[in-house]
Amino acid sequence: MKLLTHNMLTSHVKGVTKGYPLLIKATEVKVNEVDFNPQFVSRMIPKLEWSALVQAADELGHRQDLPVELVPEYEKNEEFLKKVHRVLLEVEVIEGCLRCPESGREFPISRGIPNMLLNDDEV
Amino acid sequence: MAEPRSEGSLVRYYCTYGKGMEPFLIDEVKRKLAAEDVCQISGKVLFSSSAGIDRVSELKAAERLFLLLKKDSPVLLPAHTNQAKASSVLQSRVLGDKDQWSSAVMTWSRLQGELSSRRRTTVKSQSTALGVTRKTGEEGRRIRGHLRETEKRHCEEEDEEERMGLSICRQNGKKGIISETDLCGTGSVCDHVTSGLQQGSGRNVDNTAEDLTVQKVEHGTTTEGRDETLLQPSLIKPEPPSPAAVTFRISCKCTGSLSRCYSQQEVSRVIGVGLSRLTGWKADLKNPQLEVNVYLSDDNCLVGFPLTRLPLANRSYIKTTGLRSTVAWAMASLAQIQPGFCVVDPMCGVGTILIEAAQEHQDVCFLGMDIDDGQLKKANENVEFAELGNRMHLLKASSMTLPLPSSTVDAVVCDLPFGRKFGTKTDMAASLPRILTEMERVLCVGGTLVLLLSPQLSCVLKKLLAQKDTGPTSNQEAKPGKQDCPPPSLSSTKQQTSQIQQGVQSPPTQETEAPSGLQHSPPAPLSSLKHQATLRLSLGAIDGLLHKYVKMDT
Repeated sequence: MKLLTHNMLTSHVKGVTKGYPLLIKATEVKVNEVDFNPQFVSRMIPKLEWSALVQAADELGHRQDLPVELVPEYEKNEEFLKKVHRVLLEVEVIEGCLRCPESGREFPISRGIPNMLLNDDEV
Repeated sequence: MAEPRSEGSLVRYYCTYGKGMEPFLIDEVKRKLAAEDVCQISGKVLFSSSAGIDRVSELKAAERLFLLLKKDSPVLLPAHTNQAKASSVLQSRVLGDKDQWSSAVMTWSRLQGELSSRRRTTVKSQSTALGVTRKTGEEGRRIRGHLRETEKRHCEEEDEEERMGLSICRQNGKKGIISETDLCGTGSVCDHVTSGLQQGSGRNVDNTAEDLTVQKVEHGTTTEGRDETLLQPSLIKPEPPSPAAVTFRISCKCTGSLSRCYSQQEVSRVIGVGLSRLTGWKADLKNPQLEVNVYLSDDNCLVGFPLTRLPLANRSYIKTTGLRSTVAWAMASLAQIQPGFCVVDPMCGVGTILIEAAQEHQDVCFLGMDIDDGQLKKANENVEFAELGNRMHLLKASSMTLPLPSSTVDAVVCDLPFGRKFGTKTDMAASLPRILTEMERVLCVGGTLVLLLSPQLSCVLKKLLAQKDTGPTSNQEAKPGKQDCPPPSLSSTKQQTSQIQQGVQSPPTQETEAPSGLQHSPPAPLSSLKHQATLRLSLGAIDGLLHKYVKMDT
């Protein structure tokens, strides 16, 4: 699971009103080099919940020095885009789990794929 | 990759396509190839383009690609004529002028050469196998002999071999000694595309083969940024491929009045004999260099040569196929994906739709979900195989409860499972309201929903939305396909509607299924989904229906 995916995920366990962002408990994290596509990164930034990304990167120890607030005119800031690229696409949780901040329900991540399925009684 | 060789000269092609794909194909040739004189006859789309063959052979909506030799008025035989007379009419009408055949074969050879060189340079750009010795290359050559028969199954190995072939070029280049024999030797490693031309006997055919070979090597080398002039002098020499000793086979398809009097074999034979006499070429049913396709109907007479052995619909970048690649591509193109979009397939299976979409769009995030581990595993392999790991992501989740916040997705594409392979139709019909509600929830306003449904599910969905809708939107329902969606023709829409109505009457089970589904449906109405288009497509054995909706502000 890449942090781009994580940034979009939310928990919909019955009764939960704010299942976002999910906390990451990683037992295996990999960093794979991925071709840098500045257009892709700057297109994705407006879609992101920035604070959730910074928090997730921090949890995994890969925050680098990403600022708490999104920098202005980031489209032209290649150095910044590269950092975001690294956090979004190169850091990958292979094993571990995602934890719903409200209910505490844990969603396992196995071989890089998070399992977000809920049981019938949780829906 | 820009290849000037064929740029500028207008070539007339035609493509075959799966039923229902014609509006997509016509749109695609115009958009990607700036095609002129586009027309549609007898299940084929004809067009002229000066785009390089590399781009033409990358058409996504087509099944197979042909070089057009001629399109003529239909061959009509006089009512009570004898066999000999009929044969002579057939031959003169279908065959026509010798020069036309010679020049068509030359174009065909040129395009074949460009196609094979394109393949090599494509492979090369991905190639990591450096420093393979010549010995390995020779082994590769031997393997290739076997491969030729079963090319389809073994794309991967083939790539491997091409890579070996290439590294030979590279080594030769390094040494700076490029002798004639080296060129030929290298060429024979990757001769499969022109295999027909090499098996014939006679001097002219050999020249042809050499010519193609040399072209290939030239491309392989120039793209590497080596000094072109080193090679050029020896390259200009080859004579144009002489069509004198071509071997061919006629494949004929007849419909209408002609087919009532003569079998296709008879017609093929007559045309074959005539072509032999006209050009001096030799018929070879088993292993011809050239395949000649002839279509004779009451409306026209069409002759052409296939340009690729495998259908274009066989994608080199997909490892495990699910949904037909052409249909998956059509769905992606209906979704009108823009840079910066987030596109979700909540039942992605092996990921075919998203992979087809990701091939066309670089700056888009694709998210595939499925509840089945086996499918996800294959999807994951497909993502890796297509090298899409940076923009296509997978997770295990149910389409009934999407793990995404509301209004965050720009497009949802989904092939709703039906048929024996995936659960029962009853389950899907009952779950449909719930699934649709989730899709509606995650879509942002203005977002697009493209669904592929069975005819039965299509009815269930129409009813579902009609009941939810009130006022003006239900008018919309009555006129599918009238919206601005790119392809559709009005006739297909009409046919569409009548087929749906038939569908409503035939399977009695639906009458009870849809209401039962409604009882379980959550309170949120589906009223924000505005119908845009419905299109019917062939999925092989059965037909599927494409529905397109846009989420409106409510």
